[in-house]
Amino acid sequence: MREVAIIGVGAHPTGKFTDKPLKALAYSAIWGALDDSGVTPAELDVAYVGNSLGGLLTGQEGVRGQVVLQHSGISGIPVINVENACASAATALRGAWLEVASGAAEVALAVGVEKMFVGDSARTIGALSAVSELDLAEMGMQFTTSYAIHPKINLKAKMDDYGWTIADFAKPAVKNSYNGTLNPLAQHRRALTIEEVVQSRVVVEPLTLYMCASISDGAAAAVLCPADMASRFTAKTPIRIASCILQSGVYRLPGDARADSATTSARAAYEQAGIGPEDLDAIELHDAMAPAELMLYERLGLCAPGDGPKLIDDGVTTLRGRLPVNPSGGLCSRGHPVGATGLLQIAELVWQMRGEAGARQIEQRPKVAMAQNQGGLLLGQDSAAYGVTILKR
Amino acid sequence: MSTATPANFVIPTEPGRGPVLLGSRCRSCGTVVFPRMPVCPRCLRNGTMEETELGRTGRLYSHTIAHFAPQGFIAPFFQVFVDLPEGPRIFSLVGAEVPVGPGVLEDRMEMRLVVEPVAATPENKDRLTYKYVPVKSASSKSLPAESAARARRDR
Repeated sequence: MREVAIIGVGAHPTGKFTDKPLKALAYSAIWGALDDSGVTPAELDVAYVGNSLGGLLTGQEGVRGQVVLQHSGISGIPVINVENACASAATALRGAWLEVASGAAEVALAVGVEKMFVGDSARTIGALSAVSELDLAEMGMQFTTSYAIHPKINLKAKMDDYGWTIADFAKPAVKNSYNGTLNPLAQHRRALTIEEVVQSRVVVEPLTLYMCASISDGAAAAVLCPADMASRFTAKTPIRIASCILQSGVYRLPGDARADSATTSARAAYEQAGIGPEDLDAIELHDAMAPAELMLYERLGLCAPGDGPKLIDDGVTTLRGRLPVNPSGGLCSRGHPVGATGLLQIAELVWQMRGEAGARQIEQRPKVAMAQNQGGLLLGQDSAAYGVTILKR
Repeated sequence: MSTATPANFVIPTEPGRGPVLLGSRCRSCGTVVFPRMPVCPRCLRNGTMEETELGRTGRLYSHTIAHFAPQGFIAPFFQVFVDLPEGPRIFSLVGAEVPVGPGVLEDRMEMRLVVEPVAATPENKDRLTYKYVPVKSASSKSLPAESAARARRDR
């Protein structure tokens, strides 16, 4: 396997873009990444296109990748359509990485795109339910519920087990909303207070509206090539992929002593990169529900069980802290167009590592950074897909 | 209305017998799963699973009230996980007879199985599913010792 670098990224802003179909959202991200990398469509060898809900929500059930790429002037090359729920984009990135790492391709494109505003939010919520196994979806299982009481995380129980309060749950939302105010691509750009988050409407007890990622349209893309070829295309700092892990959930019975899948996928990423959590300078992680960020701190090895809120209280994970988490604003503020999220995370980290993040630039330009993306829900008490990528410059 | 998932419960025809869930039990390692699976998720063998009845009772593992409903459901409604004495921990709705509100359910309380429409909506009023309701009788607060040990709460 050869070393692979990301040489260009692009993103469409997240938010509500009523008049833009999938291919228009994707076009901005694709050409953003191409222009950033100096690569032309004719130089691409392969493309992976992640999308989750486009079949149900837009009616374009098949060949979405070819549709959005041809619209952007890319055709003739192998195109692989990727669906892995909210981890679709991390999965697309892994496909592109493997193509280049294996030597099968020289230049690969990874795209993630999602169109969630279709004029009927009940239909969008219904489509989101359908990325849970049908046995659960037909019973009305929603992602909010899965974070609130599902055995894989059971945030509600953490109030007893760890003594976390509703104000603790609000802390990641408050921290990330501030980061979002500095990000021109972010969907929500208003700084929230603990009180506002706690007092917003209850969605699924104990989670309130401002703790939950909202419906969003958006897209992101990345161009990859062998690290030693990067300078042929661009003078910008190549961002190397030190590890790119994809795991699926496992069937867990009550009392299963194995580490949870967010933990095992992060461990695999650290091992492949030859680093530990102490080496990270920045993280973009999957805070689809804000308090999940507190659990992910311990699962990514950043703190002891239960100590998540302390990392925010002590300023460790704030934008000016030692290890900024979700500098983009994360899923709740930057936005969570589900099939694009994994590559939105990558784009943010690439900009941060190059020093191109504008007002939200981390002062000490990160040398090592992690993107953590997950999605779907299975019978057997686990999410469906976990993607973890570690980048180095 | 058709459904993409097969029925995972039965209502016995014999008088006096309530509904029961259908799961699978591994002849080799004893693992019980719900819904049914052809391959044991613990020992990963094929051909060792046989159908088993389960879930007449259970113990509440966790619960919440959803204040927003997906299409086909009416908010607010309870969503719960139930530990079955046979082993599985399953997602469930709560019977319509139970008023939705705080303090009505308590984790670890004893529950019993009922079968009723998924929800009183056009999409779901003709689709039957399993749900759980609290066992009212104070004398039945604990399950038999063996079952209680297996249903013990661990997160």
